[in-house]
Amino acid sequence: MVQGDQPPQDDNLFRAFAHALYTTVDAPVTWFREKVVEPNQKKYPWYHRQYRRVPTIDQCYSDDPVCDFEANTQFKRDRAVDSEILSILRMRYEDCMMYESPDHLTICKPFWEKYKDAEEAWFIKYGDLGAYADARKAFMKQKHRMVWEKHTLIYELELQQEIKDHRDMKT
Amino acid sequence: MALQPSRWQWHKFKDMFHYYIMVGLIPVSAIIFYTNVFIGPAQLEPIPEGYIPKHWEYHRHPITRFIARYIHTNPQQEYEKFMHFLDEEHQKMKLRALEKEILKKMAERQDYQAYYYRPMVNKYLRINKKVGDELYNRVGDDYEE
Repeated sequence: MVQGDQPPQDDNLFRAFAHALYTTVDAPVTWFREKVVEPNQKKYPWYHRQYRRVPTIDQCYSDDPVCDFEANTQFKRDRAVDSEILSILRMRYEDCMMYESPDHLTICKPFWEKYKDAEEAWFIKYGDLGAYADARKAFMKQKHRMVWEKHTLIYELELQQEIKDHRDMKT
Repeated sequence: MALQPSRWQWHKFKDMFHYYIMVGLIPVSAIIFYTNVFIGPAQLEPIPEGYIPKHWEYHRHPITRFIARYIHTNPQQEYEKFMHFLDEEHQKMKLRALEKEILKKMAERQDYQAYYYRPMVNKYLRINKKVGDELYNRVGDDYEE
């Protein structure tokens, strides 16, 4: 191949025919948009809302309904954002799978790993809270999880200590 | 005129068809065509330094912006109004809870009477007394024991 040349010409007849069919509908529409619509449109901006961070539920007094309401709306916003992030990671894996199938199990593994980690994290924070999920319920879930972890660790430590004692006694 | 079946439904259909097209479809599609071709949707940009955008500038399509500007209320305003309402109701709740607690303690200890003073208006008592006196003067105390 000669360097710096045009890309090889596509002389596939069927592709050319399909492209011609597509163009019969596409060309007038594109012409209308480029010649009539775009010159006449005005240019003006729109912005994304920036929300300030407010105190979370663990920083609120227990009888303060205003702080509770703000923490709740912030929790719902954060949950929506995290759900979208999870959705994007899932779409990345799915696109890779669609493209690489049937080798997707090996080639798309990094996407799968990242998605699974993100899914686990999402479930730890927001999962199993029910339909009327609250910032307070999520906070209580975290508290229960920490208590459970602490008890389980203590139990496992004691179990290992017992096993060690038993073994030491035997020798 | 020959005797024919009724063509009322057909005439009514044409009537309604023309009504919905002239008053509905044509003006609405003209508005939509004008806004999409001659005004067009906005471009997304980062917020400039030191500028606070108005609440309708957070929407993309010009018709959505119009509705947000002239028909809907500012969401931030509604949020803050609701928080004020929550705070006011909470203060009322605290006052009522305090009053209930005080009354409970007064009932329990029986050491204060001042809070129980109920101001009376004796106007209706006097009217009833006058009616009773008038009745007595008229009828007397002649009754069966």
